[in-house]
Amino acid sequence: MKRSLIPLAVAAGALALTACNTQNQAHKDEADKGTEAVQKAGDKTIAAGLDQNSSFFKATKAAGLDATLAGPGPYTVIVPDDAAFAKLPQGTLDGWMKPESRTELTRVLTYHILPGTVLASDIGKAIDAGKGKAVLATMGGGTLTATREGDKIVLTDGDGHKATMAGSDETLANGVIHRVDGVLMPGKKA
Amino acid sequence: MMKWMLAAGAAALAIASPVSAEKGGHGGKGQGGQQVRADRGGGGGGQKQARADRGGGERQQHMNGGGGNREVHSANFDRGGGGGHREFRTANVNRGGDKGHARQTRFVQNDNKGGGHDRVRNNQARFEGRQANNHQDRRQAMFENRGGDHVRAAQFDGDRIHGNGRFADLSGDKVFRVRDVDRHGVRFRDVDRDELFGRRLGYGVGGCPPGLAKKGNGCMPPGQAAKFIGQPLVTATRFGVLEPLPRSFNSLFYDNNDYYYRYGGGYVYRVDRHDDLISGLVPLFGAALVGQPLNPYFVNNYNQPPYYSAFYPDSPYDCHRYGYGYVYETDCMTGLVEDVIPTYDYGYGVGQIMPASYSYYNVPYAYRSYYTDNNDYYYRYAPGAIYQVDRGTALISAVAALLTGGLSVGQQLPVGYSAYNVPLAYRSTYYDTPDAWYRYDNGYIYAVDPGTQMVRSIVYTV
Repeated sequence: MKRSLIPLAVAAGALALTACNTQNQAHKDEADKGTEAVQKAGDKTIAAGLDQNSSFFKATKAAGLDATLAGPGPYTVIVPDDAAFAKLPQGTLDGWMKPESRTELTRVLTYHILPGTVLASDIGKAIDAGKGKAVLATMGGGTLTATREGDKIVLTDGDGHKATMAGSDETLANGVIHRVDGVLMPGKKA
Repeated sequence: MMKWMLAAGAAALAIASPVSAEKGGHGGKGQGGQQVRADRGGGGGGQKQARADRGGGERQQHMNGGGGNREVHSANFDRGGGGGHREFRTANVNRGGDKGHARQTRFVQNDNKGGGHDRVRNNQARFEGRQANNHQDRRQAMFENRGGDHVRAAQFDGDRIHGNGRFADLSGDKVFRVRDVDRHGVRFRDVDRDELFGRRLGYGVGGCPPGLAKKGNGCMPPGQAAKFIGQPLVTATRFGVLEPLPRSFNSLFYDNNDYYYRYGGGYVYRVDRHDDLISGLVPLFGAALVGQPLNPYFVNNYNQPPYYSAFYPDSPYDCHRYGYGYVYETDCMTGLVEDVIPTYDYGYGVGQIMPASYSYYNVPYAYRSYYTDNNDYYYRYAPGAIYQVDRGTALISAVAALLTGGLSVGQQLPVGYSAYNVPLAYRSTYYDTPDAWYRYDNGYIYAVDPGTQMVRSIVYTV
């Protein structure tokens, strides 16, 4: 009897270990994919990965943050597309580009930068763990709220406006870019 | 070490003499400061031009110098959403038939909603043309009622001036000085001629503001600088030789197809390429006079940089207040302004002098391999960022890295770190499990207990 139990026990143990290993393996696989992506990016930094003619890049240049985004980071940058900037009230972007508005511009831009490397799947997992909502800290000090709408992730800013993430990660040497369809505003400070 | 001490010395000197060097330091290296409202002494960015009277009786020439005009700017400079820039012009037209003492001042504000070319230039030409005409028309009738300090501005119907022009027209013996301007009206205050002439010669009572006087090139108070808007660039050379911007600030004020920048006499001028007229300037002086009590009107913590208190800590003697892009250092006892420091960036200080307390290399370990002091720049850490400081000017020239407030071992994981954010290169080693989470921050990977959300330890220095 005993003898037959042991193999069972061993088998059970082996099964459990395998499950454990599978989990670890899954993590490793995912991580390996990430490492691959970074290697593929080579030396290309976030600053280089942005379209130089885009409104967002021009804004970072005006604020002096393009040099920052070429540094080691890593940063997670949420990049509104040109259409998103076009949706802003007439003249907002032009106003921001002036030297005297750098304070405001920097405040808005740092609201689009998160510390570390946050992939779309990481946000998704955080939303699920948070029962439908995840709060993300930004470099500017404010927070963004992430939720799911259908199969897309939606970010809500300090003013309550929403921007939808395109869903894919653009991995670069010093971080990752997420494209969104709206400009996020930090909201009024006290 | 020596380098650092020298740099520290330079920085300390720059800071230690707030009146001279700080202003001097800012002088000419004005960065994208906010064009904050002018105080009663000078109009930072306030653009007025006083024109001489012409026509009719005696010529009276007076300048409504900087002292007169105040603009109220919020942190959002372009409140009207105009893509262009605002210009204010004043014209004194001598209405015929008077003894000549009747002076009329016109303040024209153009919200330039169009591009850079719609603005009113050479207003002087237009107003000159008016001398013969009697413009006692319906628009002026609106200003007959001038109770107290408030004069409502009328909407100009724009047949002569591009864009929306707002002007306030005053007749009679008094010359009104613009007290402030907002979208709804122009407020004026009586001023007597002596004071007006005083404005022409100097800044407030007693000449140049501290800092300008030291430059030794003739002092040009902000009000006079404002007169250069719309003038050819050469007119500004009277008060300071114009030089190209220091190299390290090219990224902030970069010449493009529409504008180029020059600085001199304490101001950065933006010059329109198409006509070589000055279209704007970046003022360097705050809205409060040193030695005066701080007007609470200038204090507003909207857009207060989150880390400014690290740069400007309060001491028992120095109390700092923030408003509209300027930090006012006041004496805690008397409330008088000791120094005015423009903050040119939202807490990240680009364009400012690196505060003396950060005079030694203090970059966090995780970043030391990336940022080491060299012949052109040195790097300093202050909450929020690692700053690249230009050795030649001792001014912060770039934000080398952005940093968060930081995680602390033994403390709760702050709100906002719910998402896994370990850099990709380390994910195969540090991944979330039910027993341990990992979060990256400021160059370190921290282990976090998922149950209690306490930051357990630093597991890796990137």
